Amino acid sequence: LCSQAFLQMCNLPVRVVCRANAEYMSPSGKLPFIHVGNQVVSELGPIVQFVKAKGHSLSDGLDEVQKAEMKAYMELVNNMLLTAELYLQWCDDVTVEEITHPRYGSPYPWPLNRILSYQKQWEIRRKMKAIGWAGKSLEQVLEDVDQCCQALSQRLGTQPYFFNKHPTELDALVFGHLFTILTTQLTSDELCEKVKNYSNLIAFCRRIEQQYFEGHDKDSSSSATARSAKRSLLR
Amino acid sequence: EVPILISEDTVISQPAKILNFLRKQKYNADYDLSAKQGADTLAYIALLEEKLLPALLHTFWVEAENYCSVTKPWFASRIPFPLSLYLPGRMSREALNRILLTRGGPPLYSLTEVEAQIYRDAKECLNLLSKRLGTSQFFFGNTPSTLDAFVFGFLAPLYKVCFPRVLLQEHLKQLPNLCRFCDDILSFYFRLGVSGHSPAGQDSVDANLQKLTQLVNKESNLIEKMDDNLRKSPQHPPRKLTTLKLAAGGEESSPPSRLSP
Repeated sequence: LCSQAFLQMCNLPVRVVCRANAEYMSPSGKLPFIHVGNQVVSELGPIVQFVKAKGHSLSDGLDEVQKAEMKAYMELVNNMLLTAELYLQWCDDVTVEEITHPRYGSPYPWPLNRILSYQKQWEIRRKMKAIGWAGKSLEQVLEDVDQCCQALSQRLGTQPYFFNKHPTELDALVFGHLFTILTTQLTSDELCEKVKNYSNLIAFCRRIEQQYFEGHDKDSSSSATARSAKRSLLR
Repeated sequence: EVPILISEDTVISQPAKILNFLRKQKYNADYDLSAKQGADTLAYIALLEEKLLPALLHTFWVEAENYCSVTKPWFASRIPFPLSLYLPGRMSREALNRILLTRGGPPLYSLTEVEAQIYRDAKECLNLLSKRLGTSQFFFGNTPSTLDAFVFGFLAPLYKVCFPRVLLQEHLKQLPNLCRFCDDILSFYFRLGVSGHSPAGQDSVDANLQKLTQLVNKESNLIEKMDDNLRKSPQHPPRKLTTLKLAAGGEESSPPSRLSP
């Protein structure tokens, strides 16, 4: 969603397609990736650079110090929000059993679905252990998410975007994560509630959704799955 | 666990808990910061951990020449026998493990490609820090804050330790404002050889540099494991080397509570 938001902010036409073997098609094994002509680029960072090389950039108007700040905040989101999302999806036993395993294994027949999702789970848990998150309890993870949201909320303040009038990669990244947290059904609403505590962040997500996603619904030819994925915040 | 703070009868480990404890004791270096500056602090710390830490771990623990000639003998000299034969090797393997798990994977298939990428990221991180610092004395004006302590903790060992392979160090030395930042903090807050704690000049330099290295490793799992082993060993001396005390004889660890040098 971050990449999709970024591309739409750049006014580039984009079509979202869902595939079961997406992780294998990607050059880095990670999602998402874009397919442009005969080039394939994966992950938000390289996608931003690729788009910049083609002449589109959202952060040209920033000075050096602001660019440094933007990169720092993007790392904060990756460090805290992304890791917390992975933790909740793969290390919290209840969520893993009820939601993650069925969802991750859904395109495959038994027993492949179980094998692949256990493999992924093992891989993620190894990584969590290496960075020290394995020993954290769910409450601690939620505390970290709260701290991260508080920092984002304080940085955003009353501005429409993080760097005042124009959206940048940071806005796309934050939108992608927060929107997903707010609209994904999980076993408990705690994660969602943490984000809801910050009204300026909710307003921010709504603004981006209205500006960049609702206009595109009418004329994009995205598949039915992508359309159902565009759950509205206004519901 | 390292670092730990010993204050009267309380023992606290982990940097986050140490900072919380100090704040409760009314030592807070971030008192004058605005909400936005507090948020910036968190963001820049995340930047340091994601972009700079892998390269630092590599420089100290994985780069063969550096590890064999500097890091291993240094740590081994402070750890009691027979752990000194085993622990540094384990810390080295775990550093490599962490780097590969977090930064390895396609499209980077070999260790050399991963190394190249982490050093590129570290150089970019140093450039960003330099741009952010500009000509100010500290990151948020004229008084130091938690962010200054974190940045110092990451940069100072890289700046001061004499390594044979100096790739990242050379890059740091080309950023004069960051070098000046480290020198300022070292001279204001880590005055060497002043008190009776360190008899020989070289010893106090080593002790201070060791504390700085511990600050660098503070987020790493390696240290937790080391603590488990130390607790199992019967001697008392290991406790002393894990204490973080300023050379001036105070009980505080970072961030410093005095506002002026």
